Amino acid sequence: MRKDTILEVDNLCTTFTRGGVALPALRNVSFSVGKGEVLGLVGESGSGKSVTLRSILGLARHYGEVTGSVRWQGQELTAMSERHIRRIRGREIAMIFQEPMTSLNPLLSVGVQITETLKAHTDLNRAARRDRAIEMLDQVGIPSAASRLEEFPHQFSGGMRQRVMIAIALAASPKLLLADEPTTALDVTIQAQILDLILKLADKMSTGVVLVTHDLGVVAQTCEDVAVMYAGRIVEQGAVRQVLRAPRHPYTVGLMRSVPQDVPPRTQLYSVPGTPPSLEALPRGCAFAPRCNAQSTDCLAARPGLTAITDDRRVACFNPVPAPEEQAV
Amino acid sequence: MTHPVMKIEDLRLAFPISRSLLDFIQRRPGRAVNALNGVSLDINKGETLGVVGESGCGKSTLARCIVRLHKPTGGRIHFAGTDIFDRDTLRDRSYNRRVQMMFQDPYSSLNPRMTTEQILSEALRVHKMRPEEDIPNRIAELLEMVRLPQDSAQKFPHEFSGGQRQRIAIARALAVEPEVLIADELVSALDVSVQAQVVNLLLELQDRLDLTILFVAHDLRLVRHVSNRVAVIYLGRIVEIGDSEALFSAPSHPYSQALLSAAPSLDPDDKGAAIRLEGELPSPLNIPPGCPFHVRCRHAQDQCRADIPKLRPLAGRGEVACHFAEEINQSA
Repeated sequence: MRKDTILEVDNLCTTFTRGGVALPALRNVSFSVGKGEVLGLVGESGSGKSVTLRSILGLARHYGEVTGSVRWQGQELTAMSERHIRRIRGREIAMIFQEPMTSLNPLLSVGVQITETLKAHTDLNRAARRDRAIEMLDQVGIPSAASRLEEFPHQFSGGMRQRVMIAIALAASPKLLLADEPTTALDVTIQAQILDLILKLADKMSTGVVLVTHDLGVVAQTCEDVAVMYAGRIVEQGAVRQVLRAPRHPYTVGLMRSVPQDVPPRTQLYSVPGTPPSLEALPRGCAFAPRCNAQSTDCLAARPGLTAITDDRRVACFNPVPAPEEQAV
Repeated sequence: MTHPVMKIEDLRLAFPISRSLLDFIQRRPGRAVNALNGVSLDINKGETLGVVGESGCGKSTLARCIVRLHKPTGGRIHFAGTDIFDRDTLRDRSYNRRVQMMFQDPYSSLNPRMTTEQILSEALRVHKMRPEEDIPNRIAELLEMVRLPQDSAQKFPHEFSGGQRQRIAIARALAVEPEVLIADELVSALDVSVQAQVVNLLLELQDRLDLTILFVAHDLRLVRHVSNRVAVIYLGRIVEIGDSEALFSAPSHPYSQALLSAAPSLDPDDKGAAIRLEGELPSPLNIPPGCPFHVRCRHAQDQCRADIPKLRPLAGRGEVACHFAEEINQSA
């Protein structure tokens, strides 16, 4: 293990219940994040990316059953009481939610919403909190920050609101940032600015970042490590360069090939046949088997575990796609 | 070979903002959101014309004007030789049939209380496409065409996934045998793998039915993939238009250059010569004078602050609206 690991998630499982039916939203998810490291979590909608973040922060346990372990700097978060975890949430681990339009309180000025966090988590007095709020807005690139403190969320554009969200998340200088699709609702030009900002902060304040996204391009440009999720499980994990250059899990291969890049224009795009399974009716074997072109009888009977194929590369597949070197032979 | 089916000339649309009592007392002039500021465009028969731009630039407004959901405040749209906002044409419902729109949000664009069959037969009946007894057959044919299982006819929209709903929307548009399809962010709400399926279907149907498509989207890779030609819109004006491959491989307008370089590449080592745009899209309430892009442009000069550049052909490229297009592209 790396020595500067700050977050260690081990065997995390989250189950929701609807009408007496258990929905396994998350199964055996394990990963770790080091200081200043940016980990990407990718997958399609419903694959469990956001549930992972919520389970880490102890938000999912209010409406689901969370088992497994989340170790935050040596402390076990899953066993912690609500009172204790509130001291960590927002102060040490902060989260940026997906929709800047709905995550801010429309009735409170932006200044109040930033200083609220500071009041809860720091000893700063009123004037110092205000100064810090201005400093934060300035840092996330909102022009004339001092005058905008009094403004309300509706007076900000989407990109600016997302910056406010980031400013709130970073106000108490967290050591870990959980970013749930921070740029999905934004234009590419603004997306580039926001991602630059997050990277700069990760670098400068050595904040660890877990970035949830469905955009492989975003992962390629910002993360060092990536975990690909499918139906509540991690199916492939490793360094971004390796995973994107030479994906080993058939699902990752399918995802990569669906992106229209370097394909002749106006030709048929590759698409993974079928649709993701619903959580109520997960196949007995590998959840991806019904859509997989490399499936064998093993895949339908048993579920492949996430196994290491090289030092830092793990794949959950019985018939992984051969690595490029092996293909050449 | 390329003859335009639709000619858009100097299209303008301003949405007035209602004045408050205070505005009247202080005698402040009425303000308006200038959504379209003179868009001229030809759409050729059988082509896919991609329209890209940031949110709020007027892409969707343009699409909505074309299907007469908005009445422009200036300019004309010609379709099959007639102005579509002429009083006679307005009364003629056939335009509504020949030009069909598909919307962005698959969750709100289908009536939740109607089954797929009802949704499709409504379209068929309103335009009297088939005699009553042929309607069930035609519905079966349409479901087949968009590759939905036949039992979908009796289902309600909530029983379908996002991708399937967009297929229903496509089937509804195709039910009335249109010539032009307007796809406003058709696949933006879908996951990549589903997106690919819907795009494949659209391309295939286009070939089979000889459709003309206006493809409005903000996903640049996707637009590049499906389009023959692409128009880049900024603050209600076309800043560049041209052949899709040429435009994407070598954009000429500084805005297109910045927009295209902002799309993150799949290759982790390809950081690209990303041109970071400063700031955001100015508000369409208050469009800067001169070239609307000059406040964010790194090549801006005095002339840009004063004169609005016109769309003009650039040697070897498409058409560009920039005073210094030649200089910028020479140095690049």
